[in-house]
Amino acid sequence: MIAQRYSAQRVVRTAVIGVALLAIASTAHAVPAFARKYQTSCQTCHIVFPKLNAFGEAFRLRGYRMPGETEEMVKQPAVSLGSPAYKKLWPQAVWPGEISSAVPLAVNVKMAEVNTSSVNDDGSVSRISNDLQFPQEVNIFGAGTLGEHVSYFTEVTFSANADGSVAVDLEHAHMGFDSPFGPEDLFHFRIGKFAPNVVDGFQEMWIATDGAIDSLFNYNPIGVNGGTGLGADALSPNSISLPALVNGVEGYGIINHRAMWVAGLANGVMAAPGDTTGRFDGNNAKDVYARFDYKFGGMGLDGDTGGQPIPEKNWHDNSLRVGVFTYRGDASSIPFALETDSGVNVNIEDSHFLRTGFYASVFYQDLNVFGAYLHGTDTLNTTDAATGALLQAIEPAYHAWFTQADYMIYPWLQASGRYETVTPADPAVQSIRIGTLNMSALVRANVKVMVEYQRDLRQGDNHSLNALLRFAF
Amino acid sequence: MHRRLGVSVVLAGLMAIALCSVSTDVAGAAGSVIQGTVKATGLPSSADAVVYLQQVSGSFPAPAKPANIDQRSMQFNPHVLPVVVGTTVQFLNSDPTAHNVFSPDYEKYNLGTWPQGQTKDHTFAKCAKVPCAYVQLCRVHPEMEGYVVVLQNPFYAVTGADGHYKIDNVPPGTYSVGVWHAKLKSAPKPVTVDGTKPAVVDFVLGR
Ligand SMILES: [Cu+2]
Repeated sequence: MIAQRYSAQRVVRTAVIGVALLAIASTAHAVPAFARKYQTSCQTCHIVFPKLNAFGEAFRLRGYRMPGETEEMVKQPAVSLGSPAYKKLWPQAVWPGEISSAVPLAVNVKMAEVNTSSVNDDGSVSRISNDLQFPQEVNIFGAGTLGEHVSYFTEVTFSANADGSVAVDLEHAHMGFDSPFGPEDLFHFRIGKFAPNVVDGFQEMWIATDGAIDSLFNYNPIGVNGGTGLGADALSPNSISLPALVNGVEGYGIINHRAMWVAGLANGVMAAPGDTTGRFDGNNAKDVYARFDYKFGGMGLDGDTGGQPIPEKNWHDNSLRVGVFTYRGDASSIPFALETDSGVNVNIEDSHFLRTGFYASVFYQDLNVFGAYLHGTDTLNTTDAATGALLQAIEPAYHAWFTQADYMIYPWLQASGRYETVTPADPAVQSIRIGTLNMSALVRANVKVMVEYQRDLRQGDNHSLNALLRFAF
Repeated sequence: MHRRLGVSVVLAGLMAIALCSVSTDVAGAAGSVIQGTVKATGLPSSADAVVYLQQVSGSFPAPAKPANIDQRSMQFNPHVLPVVVGTTVQFLNSDPTAHNVFSPDYEKYNLGTWPQGQTKDHTFAKCAKVPCAYVQLCRVHPEMEGYVVVLQNPFYAVTGADGHYKIDNVPPGTYSVGVWHAKLKSAPKPVTVDGTKPAVVDFVLGR
């Protein structure tokens, strides 16, 4: 998967491309380092990992701390890096902190038995059957807290390539400052590379399927007449769709148990491949994003239960969560090279782009239905690669949405169905429609077997049927 | 509490007799026991809470012999040491590595750094409002931490891991029982002892 990331983003055809299912896996977190720290089951926080239940979401938002956490809940005592009394001495002493007494590492492994059918540009169909991609991916996590107000989350992913090589990716590395001032959980800050709290839900926390929601994260808006389809990979900071990961800083918090605010600043689209300046950001402008959401019913976002007993089934959380989000990117001075249908080499710059959307998630007993709508606008300036002359300036718009239903049949068995669609900005291109069916079974709380079927609903010869095994320890 | 009370303590009436009986085993009104359990909410252990009588009339001279804190295995031992105001504490270094002792509290002091087998003294001469808790720190090892808790009188006890405490030989009277803990707190509670049966005072400490 990762091999595609850095090639797909620059090579963009203006011709109408079929929807080869990208099958870019969503990043998935199951961090047994936490299970060890608290001597508790995965199911305290996860429904079918990585999908979080309400308690797990509160644990995540609170900076990897349980709601109402006390010292006695932490079964691996911390190692003091300084008596708390040193706070009185500051600045004549280092501010005290602590670390976990056990190395807070965890490993996830993913095997995939892959069957795909894809339509080629010339209309022929390629088929792969029973490809044993064992393993497809291994993730190493390090995550935890450093005392009362600091937390961290790191993830290094090793992805197996088709040629036998392994790609290494730093998917997450962030430090959090949790409730450094003000009422508890009203202010959290994160710095590093992380899933922005704008889109975490659809990329990581609510999704138990293997396939990511390509319509939101993998749309490529670059095209002479606007974007034509999927291509850019949201896992790359170069994503010009809705970024699933950012390098930046973010503030977020929980207001009165029920509302959540998010505001962030990110590097945005990274430097073009030919850029020799060594910079990470492709330009000096920063991207900004924000979100606000509210949860009616169920457990509070910070784990508050209002004194009510929590349901016996850990996935029950009768509630409605709604939100709005916006992301404004600036990719000015970052050229995307393209060859037009008439053979002219051009550079397209997306001087600024806006992604705005809303989402909702309803939990009712064993059913969770959720979805999001996204509207995107871009400002594309096309210049002749040879002369630099401005050939065209347009402001195309696209929209995408998805809806997914997850149903718990047994505490260990979940059925999911998802429909997603994106209407690209180029008016000559049909909308893309993708259907996904998934059956996930927990063999153990930390071992999951999935069968997932994905189908291009416009072109039936584009489909995949994968069997997956994931385990976490 | 195990402080010996000097016979020089002269008090009027029964109180004097009771107190003298504590230290001298003179027949008369026996001292009472105050005991109970302290629950340190949210902590894995309820140890190291100091339960004490806030004010007892009379004067309580410091013991002639110093109290001891040992720096052993990179820890202050005992972790929490209550003393009567005026007590001298002798700090011993039992480790092969050098330790330091200082406190940023109240008048602040730094006893310096010294090697294995040697001791240094510090006298806790005053305490305007009990309890005066002095954190004991070592500059060489920032994680090391201990407490000297300065009190007005020798009627105190330190809880064990189960949170239990017992103060012996309390003269009959009505007192305010306070509790000190490094992380948690609780309001004082009144108690009346008449020299016959033990009084039970329990505490639940919170943030
Ligand atoms: Cu030391």
